[in-house]
Formats: sequence, C-alpha cells, structure tokens
Amino acid sequence: MSDSLAALLTALADDELIIGHRHSEWTGFAPHIEEDVAFSSIAQDEIGHAAAYYTRLSQLGHASDADRLALGKDTVDYRNAIICERPNGDWSYTLARHWLYDAADSVRLEALESSADHELAALATKMRREERYHLLHADTWMKRVAAGPVEGRTLLITSLGSAFAESAGLFEPIVEEEAAIEAGWLPAPSHELRARFLARTAESLEDWGLPAEVHAGLDRSAEFVASSSGDLIAGRDRPGKDSPVASHGALGGRRGHHSEDFKSLWDDMTSTYRSNPGAAW
Amino acid sequence: METFEVFRRSGHKEPFEHCGTVSAPDAEMALLEAKECFTRRREGQHLWVVKRSDIHSFKDESLLEIAADKSYRFAEAYRDVVTKRSQARSRGRALPEKARSST
Amino acid sequence: MTYEDKLARFNAHIDGGGKVEASDFMPDDYRRGVLKFIEMHANSEIMGALPERECLPQAPTLLRKMSLAAKIQDEVGHAQLLYRVAEDLGKSRSAMYEDLLAGKSKFHNVFHYPVQHWGDVAIIGWLIDGAALVTQAALLDSSYAPYTRVLKRICSEEQLHLRHGEHITLMLASGTESQRDLFQDALSRWWLPIIHFFGPRSNVEKDLLLRWKVKTRTNEDLRQEFLDRYVPKVLELGFMFPSPVPVESTGHWIVKDQDIDWAPLEAVKKNRGPETTRRLAARRDVYDRHRWVREVLAAPFTYAA
Repeated sequence: MSDSLAALLTALADDELIIGHRHSEWTGFAPHIEEDVAFSSIAQDEIGHAAAYYTRLSQLGHASDADRLALGKDTVDYRNAIICERPNGDWSYTLARHWLYDAADSVRLEALESSADHELAALATKMRREERYHLLHADTWMKRVAAGPVEGRTLLITSLGSAFAESAGLFEPIVEEEAAIEAGWLPAPSHELRARFLARTAESLEDWGLPAEVHAGLDRSAEFVASSSGDLIAGRDRPGKDSPVASHGALGGRRGHHSEDFKSLWDDMTSTYRSNPGAAW
Repeated sequence: METFEVFRRSGHKEPFEHCGTVSAPDAEMALLEAKECFTRRREGQHLWVVKRSDIHSFKDESLLEIAADKSYRFAEAYRDVVTKRSQARSRGRALPEKARSST
Repeated sequence: MTYEDKLARFNAHIDGGGKVEASDFMPDDYRRGVLKFIEMHANSEIMGALPERECLPQAPTLLRKMSLAAKIQDEVGHAQLLYRVAEDLGKSRSAMYEDLLAGKSKFHNVFHYPVQHWGDVAIIGWLIDGAALVTQAALLDSSYAPYTRVLKRICSEEQLHLRHGEHITLMLASGTESQRDLFQDALSRWWLPIIHFFGPRSNVEKDLLLRWKVKTRTNEDLRQEFLDRYVPKVLELGFMFPSPVPVESTGHWIVKDQDIDWAPLEAVKKNRGPETTRRLAARRDVYDRHRWVREVLAAPFTYAA
C-alpha cells in the first residue's frame, strides 16, 4: 500500500464529498425549480465520485469500507480544500464556486487519466464524462449572468473574487506529493495543474467580458504563512457582500486544517453514522 | 417552404409522439397536410406541428448518457427488500409479547 | 349555445367518462376547483422536499446520501410537472409561488411537522409516501387529462420511493435497539398526522370535485385502503401504534372516527402547524434574496455561437 497514492485518493475523495454535500443543501431551495432538479444531479454525481475514490482506497487495504472513510473519521483526517466546505452563501457564490471547482476538477481528471494507478486512471476517464456536463452547466449559467442585468453581474463578480482567492486550496500540494509524482500516481505536480486552470479560467473570463481582476485575490492568498498556532493562514482574504469567506485562509485543507465552517458541517454530516457505531443502515 | 415536425397523440392518457415531418409554407398548411399524412387511419385524436428550426438539441448527445453508477435511481437497487423483510419480521417476532401488540 | 347548454353538455361528457383538456370548455367552478387542487398538490411536493432535506445532511452512508438526494429531487421534479399543469389553467407559476409564501394557499398537513432524526426519513419514505401513493393512484383516472398524464410518471416514481422508504425501515427494524427506537419514536410522532393526511370524511353531496370526477374516491375510502395495506406490515415488524390505535374488525384495520383528534389538522389548515412559519420563512428568505436570478432568467439574451 502506497501512502502517497492513499494521500492523493483521500484528497480527491474528500473534495468531492464535501462539495457534493454543500451542493445538495440547495435541494428544494434553488432559485429556479428546474435548476433545483439539475443541480441535485450534480450534487449526486460528486458524492458518487467520492464513493468511487473511497472504494478504490478501501481496495488498497486502507480501511474496511467507503462509508467509514467518508463518515467515520475525525475532522483533521479530511484533506478537502477549504473552498469546498464554505457555506453556499447565495446563488452567485454557489455558481462561482461550482464553475471554479469543475474547471479545476476537469484539469485534474485530464491529468489523472494517465495515472500509473490504472484503476484511478479508469475512474478519471469515467468521471470526465460527467464533468463535461458539469462544466457546460456552469459555463451556461456564468455566460448568462455575466451578460445579464447589472445586479446579478455585480454579485457574480464579487463572489468570483472570493471564490478565486480560495480556489488556490484546490491546488495546494497533497502530503507526499513528491512521492506521488515519482511513482506516477499524480502525473503532473499541483503547481502545473494550477497554471493550466488559471490559463483556462482567464480565457473564459475574457470571453464572457468579466474583469480579469477577479484573479487578483488568488495570487495574494497563495502567499500563506504559518501562524503561531501552526495553522496556515493565507496572506489575505477578500470577503465580498454575501460572501461566506471567514477569517481563515484558503490553504491548509490538504494538511487537515479546516475552517470553523467545517466543524459544523462535520458534526451534522457524521451524526447519524456516529450514533450507532458499526450499524448497518 | 419550411420543414415541420409532426406529433400526434392517440388519446387523453398518452403523450404526444413524433410521427414524421411535412414540407409546407406555414403552420396552417402543415396541419392540413399532416392530418392526411399521419392520421388518416385514426392514429391520432390530437395533432401538433412544430417548425424544425424551433427545435433545439445538444450538439453532443453523449452528454445524455449516464456515466457513473446511478443504480439507486432504479427499483432494481432495492431488490433485496424481500430478504430484508423476512429478516426484519423474524426480529419483530422475537420481541417480548408486550412490546409486540398494542391492540 | 348558451352557458347553460354548454354546462349541460359538459356534465353529460363527464358522466359518460369523458376527459377534459386545458383548451376545452370547462365551467368556471371546474377550472377553479381543478386549479386549486393541482396547485395544492404542487405546493405539497415543493414543501414536502423540506422535511427530508433537513435530514439529508445526516444520511448515514454514501448510498443513502445519494438515494435520498435523488428521492427529494424527484419530489421537486413532481412540483415542476404539477405547477406547469396548473399554470395552463390560468394562474402563473410565480403567482402560485408567491401565494404559497404569503400563506394564502395550502399544502399537505404532514409537511407542517418537524423532523428529528433518521427514523423520520423511514416514516416519510415508507408510510407517508405510501399514503400519498394510495391517493395519487386513485387520481390516475381523473377527468382532467393533463393531470393524469403527469400523475402516471409521478406514481411510478413514488413506487420507487416506497421501496426506498421500506428498505430504510427494514434496516432500522432489523438493526440495533437504538435503530429500532428511531423508527418507533418517529412512528409515535407521525401516526396522527398520517391519519389526518386523508382528510375528514368526504361530503359526497357537496364535493364538486367528486361530482366532476376530478377525484374518484372518498377520503375515508382511501384511508381504509391505506390502513388495510400498511397496519399489518408495521405490526409484523414489532412496532406499536399510538392513538388512534387501529383495531382489526371484519377483515379490516379500523381507526374509529371518535378516536381521531382533529384539532391539530384544523390548526395546520390555517397554516398554523408546528413548522409552517419556519419553513415558509426559510423559503421566503431564499426567494427574496434571489430576485436577481429571476431577473437574469427573464432578461433577453442571445448566446454567442
């Protein structure tokens, strides 16, 4: 069992689980009824991807089953990026994050299709098919809001600023990244994936007539420092109106450092699982 | 001339179904044509025509395929309900009498 | 033709088992009655998403998380289908939605109650969906044809939900003591609202919807079918009913009228149920904060190729 492969799978799975969990909170409340149905499928897809990664992890002898890997661990054992755990805020933040997350995931899956772990490579190929739809969904909404009435456009720009700042967390190196690259599990280093992500998203912003400055927050928050408590604190956050971004920085998720938002999410998400250890549901 | 897609419905309980196309200068003429082309043997009690240019579809229809496992959306996912039912019933029977009957 | 002639012809059409389409002539009372009925059904689907949604984050396995999300998604999908059908009777979806938020229209009693834990998911998925399926299957032959066409799909999805709900129930019933307690506790809280779900006895003389075959069976008839079907299944699993306790008599499971406390239903009908205000306020809050989304969708826009 390779620790670096496990670390990679854990980061991937936890990202998918937590973003899927947040997306699913819109169920029954999305601002347009047809969209409620559509967005629920995206949430289900992400949770399904998480299940597939956890299953791969359990095949590697890491733990007994996928549910335990998803729900039976402590907060510090989650390796998801902090952006995934942020509350949904309003639809503009959800949309901005959805777009950035799926753009990042596409870049990541493209690379993973040539992973030395053939199971993981096969999963990536399968998931990319769903990701194409996710990205098309996000792009379609982004285009429309960007070209729409000024209030929505302004909200979107503000939300993009804070979501971009925190998207750095999606490309924070995983623990044992060097070993994962060496072994070929991760075919390209995180900083390289991030460069591809930035190039692609910059292109879309230009196409849609959205200001390139929304990128600015990203560069700043990427310069993180260790605080006296040992937490990694981003250089600066740019919380906007209605933005759920709190005082905690964008980075640290890959090392098990999470925001206050995650604590309550975890309490809720694992409560039934924890209530009856070992029970079947 | 325009191409019109023709839909017909055999009764109130059925949905409209696509049955073919006609070539016509406008909707009024398309309806007249469609009536004889597609319902002359009483195949439909209701008829629609829609301009083909008003119909939209995905450029890439492979988007419609379900890529990952979605078995939980289908009844087959709960096939083991029969076994589970008998397990749960024996558990119910094993309970002390006072806990079983409320009547 | 005078209005009276049209009305007589319409009544004869209905009496002969005829169906009505949105574009057909229909008496004003028929239109109003059907609209109100379908609107309430649609409201119930969208409000019915909320209790389960409150349990969704706590789903105990990944599969349950996905399947419960999918189930709630179906309910929202039902609301989408039903609001569209209702809309064709002359009231816009936004007007229906705003009436719902303002407390001017109704939704089913069971969605006015709180949820506490995973046992509630079992009850809602099995017994409440079971009750809903009994009432909806009875509408498949309704005189209003557009309604029956969407009900066909709704009922087939509800069949799946029923399996899903029973599956969750059976896992609790054959699980640990504390899992069994979850179901028993939920049953004790939900039983009376489930009995109320079917409504008080129908007034066959006065009920225009029955007269015009929009509805085809009485409330008490539907409740009886539900009791006969589900009471034995619950007892077999070793669970106990609270008041009104069903008793077996002449081959049926009976709940006596005098054992039913109708007061909670009266409160719910006035939109004064335990969770009415909170759930409507939560919906109103999201609605108010997203006027801009409605403006985005309403704005003219041409996609660049």
